[in-house]
Amino acid sequence: MSTKLNEERAREQLLDLAAEFYDQFESGQIPEMTLPTRTKSNIEYDPDSGVWVYGDRTSTRSANSVRGARKLLKAVYTIEFLAEQLEEDRSSTLRELYYLSESWDNEEAQFSDQDESNQLIEDLEIVSEVTREDFHMRPEESGATLMGPLELREQTRRGEREIHCQKDVGEGGYQIPNNPDTIEFLDADIDFVLCVETGGMRDRLIENGFDEQYNCLVVHLKGQPARATRRITKRLHDELDLPVLVFCDGDPWSYRIYGSVAYGSIKSAHLSEYLATPAARYVGIQPTDIVEYDLPTDPLADSDINALESELTDPRFQTDYWEEQIELQLDIEKKAEQQSLAANGLDFVTETYLPDRLGDMGVL
Amino acid sequence: MTSFQAELGAEEGIAEELAASQREISIAEFFEKNKHMLGFDSGARGLVTAVKEAVDNALDATEEAGIRPDIYVEITEVGDYYRVVVEDNGPGITKDQVPKIFGKLLYGSRFHAREQNRGQQGIGISAAVLYSQLTSGKPAKITSRTKEADQAEYFELIIDTDTNEPEIQDAEPTTWDRTHGTRIELEMEANMRARQQLHQYIKNTAVVNPHARIELREPGLDEPLKFERGTEELPAETSEIRPHPHGVELGTLIKMVAATDSYSVSGFLQEEFTRVGQKTADKVCDAFRDRHFGRELAWPTPATGIDVSGAVTEAVSNKGADATDRFAGEIESKLRGRDRTAHSQLREIIDDIADEIEDDTGRTFGSTVREHALDAAWSELTAFESDESTNGEGQARDHLTPGLYGLVDDATSTRKDDETVEALAERLARRADGLDDPAFRVTRDELESMVRGAAEATIEYDDVTLGDTAQENITDALWSTARTVPDEVPKISAIEGDRDTASELLEAMRATDILSPPTDCLSPITADLVEAGLRKEYDADFFAAATRDAEVHGGDPFIVEAGIAYGGELGGDGKIDLLRYANRVPLVYQQGACGSTDVVKNIGWRNYGLDQPGGSGLPNGPAVVMVHVASTNVPFTSESKDAIANIPEIEDEVELAIREAARELKSYLNKRRSLEKRQEKQSVLSQILPEMADKVAEVTDRERPDIDPAMGRIMNNLCIEREIDGDTVTLSVENYSDRAETPDITEIVSAEPDAVEADDASVVDLGDEWYIQWSPSVSAGGETALTYTVGSDTEFDITVDDVETEKLTLNA
Repeated sequence: MSTKLNEERAREQLLDLAAEFYDQFESGQIPEMTLPTRTKSNIEYDPDSGVWVYGDRTSTRSANSVRGARKLLKAVYTIEFLAEQLEEDRSSTLRELYYLSESWDNEEAQFSDQDESNQLIEDLEIVSEVTREDFHMRPEESGATLMGPLELREQTRRGEREIHCQKDVGEGGYQIPNNPDTIEFLDADIDFVLCVETGGMRDRLIENGFDEQYNCLVVHLKGQPARATRRITKRLHDELDLPVLVFCDGDPWSYRIYGSVAYGSIKSAHLSEYLATPAARYVGIQPTDIVEYDLPTDPLADSDINALESELTDPRFQTDYWEEQIELQLDIEKKAEQQSLAANGLDFVTETYLPDRLGDMGVL
Repeated sequence: MTSFQAELGAEEGIAEELAASQREISIAEFFEKNKHMLGFDSGARGLVTAVKEAVDNALDATEEAGIRPDIYVEITEVGDYYRVVVEDNGPGITKDQVPKIFGKLLYGSRFHAREQNRGQQGIGISAAVLYSQLTSGKPAKITSRTKEADQAEYFELIIDTDTNEPEIQDAEPTTWDRTHGTRIELEMEANMRARQQLHQYIKNTAVVNPHARIELREPGLDEPLKFERGTEELPAETSEIRPHPHGVELGTLIKMVAATDSYSVSGFLQEEFTRVGQKTADKVCDAFRDRHFGRELAWPTPATGIDVSGAVTEAVSNKGADATDRFAGEIESKLRGRDRTAHSQLREIIDDIADEIEDDTGRTFGSTVREHALDAAWSELTAFESDESTNGEGQARDHLTPGLYGLVDDATSTRKDDETVEALAERLARRADGLDDPAFRVTRDELESMVRGAAEATIEYDDVTLGDTAQENITDALWSTARTVPDEVPKISAIEGDRDTASELLEAMRATDILSPPTDCLSPITADLVEAGLRKEYDADFFAAATRDAEVHGGDPFIVEAGIAYGGELGGDGKIDLLRYANRVPLVYQQGACGSTDVVKNIGWRNYGLDQPGGSGLPNGPAVVMVHVASTNVPFTSESKDAIANIPEIEDEVELAIREAARELKSYLNKRRSLEKRQEKQSVLSQILPEMADKVAEVTDRERPDIDPAMGRIMNNLCIEREIDGDTVTLSVENYSDRAETPDITEIVSAEPDAVEADDASVVDLGDEWYIQWSPSVSAGGETALTYTVGSDTEFDITVDDVETEKLTLNA
């Protein structure tokens, strides 16, 4: 996969979009841009790809209203910026784009907050069918890491690097680049991929040598995973045919982390096919684990309860497994962190919990 | 406490002593004590009230004579005093009338008349005369000239405060430049601190009297304040009506009874009241009978255990077997054919049958026979024997209880068991029997207490519940089956001296449904003239007015009108201005105490597009709200006539009238806001879109695209708006785009248009409709106006072709 080609295509697509506005003006039409509606109610399961994508409902950004006209003006300014950036082979962060707009000569085109610029980039992704990465836009920090028996080659700005993700890296592991499509997998001796939500648990697994013991690639999600993390997870599954497992806290927010790894997120459902790993499975902490292992817990806050109830109506969680787990949790009104397993000793997670769970799931 | 009684013997002449200290209160003293009630509580206010009373009088006088009022008010400083001069062009007054009109408190043609007039009590102008006399010691100076007179008359008038009698001190012919009219000059202790209220009064008077020309001069004005006529039309003449039966008080009724020439109540009612004819009078008389005599309870004929015919036969003697049999038989069969029969009805039945048999047989059934038969049949029908009276032999007969059972059963809820109903019916029967009147006459009150007694006993002894509603239902059921008695209603002469009977008559009048009073005694300003009045005095952008249909409160008809002016030169900060009027007289004091103010405060003005902090209270904004209550008797909170009392019927109408006008305000404001939004949108978009086009051209490396078609499409660029000013209709065509437009405009009007301007306009006459057609060429960014004149009340229908609908904003 040549990234050069991708960039060329990205630039063309952006210019095409500008040309479309031009043509609309020329023919006396009101310039507009149609996008799928990005809400929970407009995502649907695509049985072909096994991921959740946007449904048929669309919304239109049209110059017919003052709001719409402002949005389109900003879009055109952003297109110009991105096209130039691609031409010069440079990249910038989403936050930089927001601040950069301050330098534009037209005040109407400047963003009022970063949500607006982030959303506009997502709009442009959808309309041009090009990913943000190909626009050379990256998030502020990714910092997510890999650790395990994997050898890869990364195309960096300073030349190619071949790296073994266990032997060539420190305890921190291999840092996933913003555009993981610049990586080529060379060799792997991996039995499964374990995505871990929290840094504390990831460090525990590494310290206990879990990756070496079980030939496991530990991916640190760092909370809600960045696109790069999800992308590389999908590639690991698709290209190396590895089972993917997700290990999180036992609360509604962690289920959403799992959801975005496995099914795709609502905000980036247009990229689900590119980012989601439908085969990923949830290890824990499950509400049933809280009961079974009698883990130390915290009571559910009101926001937790709302989130759980919202998940019950989320099309992505409408499976028997999730309904049972979520309803159990609403019933016991408790949540537990990954580290609560330490209540049974520091080695409990690597010696008992994970081997048990992975055994149950047929991975070990 | 000291007892005068005990000391009577000891000290003589206490009564005389007390009597000596009692003396007649002079009118001046009365005035002094009550001047706040009459609107003269301070020098500042006294001046306004004096002007107000004189102007009200002047307007009434001119209107009554069918003259368009031309009123001149002048206030000048005279040493320590102020001189008020009010002149009108009315019919003038003769020397005989002068003292009565200006000099005597409580003299006036209006106190007794049911007709809408500005003044009602006849206190006003004479109070002003008295106030002037008491404060300055100067007489009132009156000049008047009647239409026919060669010369004007000049009078000086004072009021004798001991006798309340006016005295003309000086009378002489004089010259006057008016051909007819009246001028009054009063000097009084006063000040101009209430200048604002004075101006407000004059201005507000001009608003509701667009047919009047008013001029005010006062020391603080460099230029006289002039209010020109807005219409030549005089208000509709009002006619006087007699009082309505629902609108009189007991005292008034007693006075009317004493004064009438009628002998009968029916005649009295028809003669003295409005809306009472023979039928209504009969209805009132029946209601009066019910109250005066009570009704007779009516009883059903039992199916068994009764032998009317036997009883009658026994009571009749010497009439021959055939006639007696027929007499008795017919009475019985007649009774059996009836649902219920009252005593007086039975008497009528017996009379009818007896007359018939007399005619057929020639035998005489005298009154004694008839009376015996009546007694016999009635005691049979209403037999009620106690167990003791039968001495244990045979069954005690009780025809009353079954007669009541059905009524009681129907009137109480189904949950009452049979025994309770039976017990209650029996107790009622015993009480009916105990009335000690064979005819069972009861008044409604007596019936009520009868039912209450029976119910209470039933509650106590049978341990059941019988609420007030149940008791009321039973009373209603009994009362409605009872019969109005045929007795003659008392004569007027009997009512005259009897307060209780008069009160019964009054109740009967109030209880009877009577048509609302006629409304030709009212003269509303009418919605059109309300609007014209506001237009004349306020330079606003929008006007609306509404006149309600007449309603009645306490026998007095009233009409409520409301008007709203909005925007333009009206001040936008703070509360709206509320103008209150009663019978065309502005109310300038005590706004907070006025019923109409309460109504305005309770309306949710946010619904109508005005800012109202907290959702209640007077709204904010550049608006004037006007309320006019016209009535033969406006209920004021006090004699000074500053505030309308809180009467629910009137408040409801005030609210409806204001809401009617406010709805128009709302649609106007909505329209205006959408226009404003449109303008804002236009100004923002006309900045953004060119910039966007420039950028798109830059990015795609092409020429700047032509955005005007897109812009035009967004802005619906051609605007056609109708403005109507009097008879002149203007269609303004504004082309916001930078492309020339040639719209085809066709206007269909329901009256013949005139003075159609524009070169290529054509008018087609289709009989009852006229087509006017234009196709103006409007250059880019240009505008053009199409005008013509047409009578008012014309209907318009406009169509525009040759312009894409997307590019057209039709506001016509």
